[in-house]
Amino acid sequence: MKKVLIVDDSVSMRQMVSFTLREGGFEVIEAEHGQDALDKLQGASVDLVITDLNMPVMDGITLIQNLRNQPAMKTKPILMLTTEGLAGKKEQGKAAGATGWIVKPFDPEKLLQTVAKVLP
Amino acid sequence: MNGSGPGGASEVDAALARYLSQLGRMGEQLKQTSKQIEDSVVGVCNSFQGIASRAQATVTRASGFLGDGGQSTPDKQSFEGLIEACSGTLVKILNTTIEAGDVSRRAIERIEEMDKASQQISEALRQLDQITNSNRMLAFNARIEAAHAGTAGMGFAVVAVELAAATVKSRSVTAHVGELALNLRSLAHSTLQDLRNMNEKDSERVGQCRQEVDESLRDLQTAHSEMAAMLNGMTAEGALLATDIGSAVRGLQFQDRTSQRIAHVVSDLDTLCARLKMHAVDVAPGAAPADEGFSAYTMQEEREVAGLGEAEASAGDVELF
Repeated sequence: MKKVLIVDDSVSMRQMVSFTLREGGFEVIEAEHGQDALDKLQGASVDLVITDLNMPVMDGITLIQNLRNQPAMKTKPILMLTTEGLAGKKEQGKAAGATGWIVKPFDPEKLLQTVAKVLP
Repeated sequence: MNGSGPGGASEVDAALARYLSQLGRMGEQLKQTSKQIEDSVVGVCNSFQGIASRAQATVTRASGFLGDGGQSTPDKQSFEGLIEACSGTLVKILNTTIEAGDVSRRAIERIEEMDKASQQISEALRQLDQITNSNRMLAFNARIEAAHAGTAGMGFAVVAVELAAATVKSRSVTAHVGELALNLRSLAHSTLQDLRNMNEKDSERVGQCRQEVDESLRDLQTAHSEMAAMLNGMTAEGALLATDIGSAVRGLQFQDRTSQRIAHVVSDLDTLCARLKMHAVDVAPGAAPADEGFSAYTMQEEREVAGLGEAEASAGDVELF
């Protein structure tokens, strides 16, 4: 079973993404911000990360930059799931190493399709 | 703002203090409202999770009970497995009954052969009786001839007497064997009749049983098909339920956007309060411009409301780099 890390400061968003992915047959780990995600990835491995952009403690862009510096996460897909749709922000995400950008609110079926596309 | 007189600094300060207090309360209320909405959305999400899990579990249990329509070896506990086991047992019972019928038919054939053999024994006894009669006549004639021969024929007369006695004994034995053969035939006939009657009834019973078994199996198959159709309906309903839940999940994400907006408004209220406390909103020389320090408006919709630019991506858009 593929493992996905969901990073979002909103409990309800984490719940909805987790629910959608679990129904799609994935194992899910949750983190409430970038630093929490890095802590949870210590000694653990995931197949995909889905992260919000604006979060307290550590935002999504910084998280991606940190993850891309880790050998185990260099080639793993990382999707951004955010209310932000500005081209400039997207460029920042792309430059940091994001694999894709999904604008909230997400469509559960579309999210699963996107996840299937980016997972090897 | 240090002037005096009517409407002077002290009145402005008092009014400002009231407004600050009210603004602070408004901020708190907004935060509480945001938290309550989030809690209730999390509750709804948990309920959806429960509904989806229970629906899935029900369909899985029903599928397990019904089997998979012959696509693999049915589980012994499944309905399909029970039908197969039941069918197998009924066929075994039928086959055993048919075998019993075959055994009784073979018994009939053997008894018929025994009857023929006893007929042949009777025929042999009849021939033996004729021979005995001939011997008796021979002994009788020998005695007459011995009498005619007088003394010279006396030895011959003894042989004739012994031959006559032997024929009497022989007749007695053949008569006894004849009786036994007759009894044997009589027994064979009655046994044959019993076996034929039983075989006839058995054939009828086997025919009836086969018909009843076929009907029962057909009923079971029909029940299985109906239950399978019902399960398909449940699966289809489950898919619709998943679609409905998906739509609801999408709809519930309003809370995340609402919470973000409230957080931005609260942040701006905090900034506004801080500025008012410093009495430096408009008057202090070199003060920051009025909108500096306020939230950066990270949501597209907020930017649109504030007239800060057109939308560059719509909700639900996906872009892979």
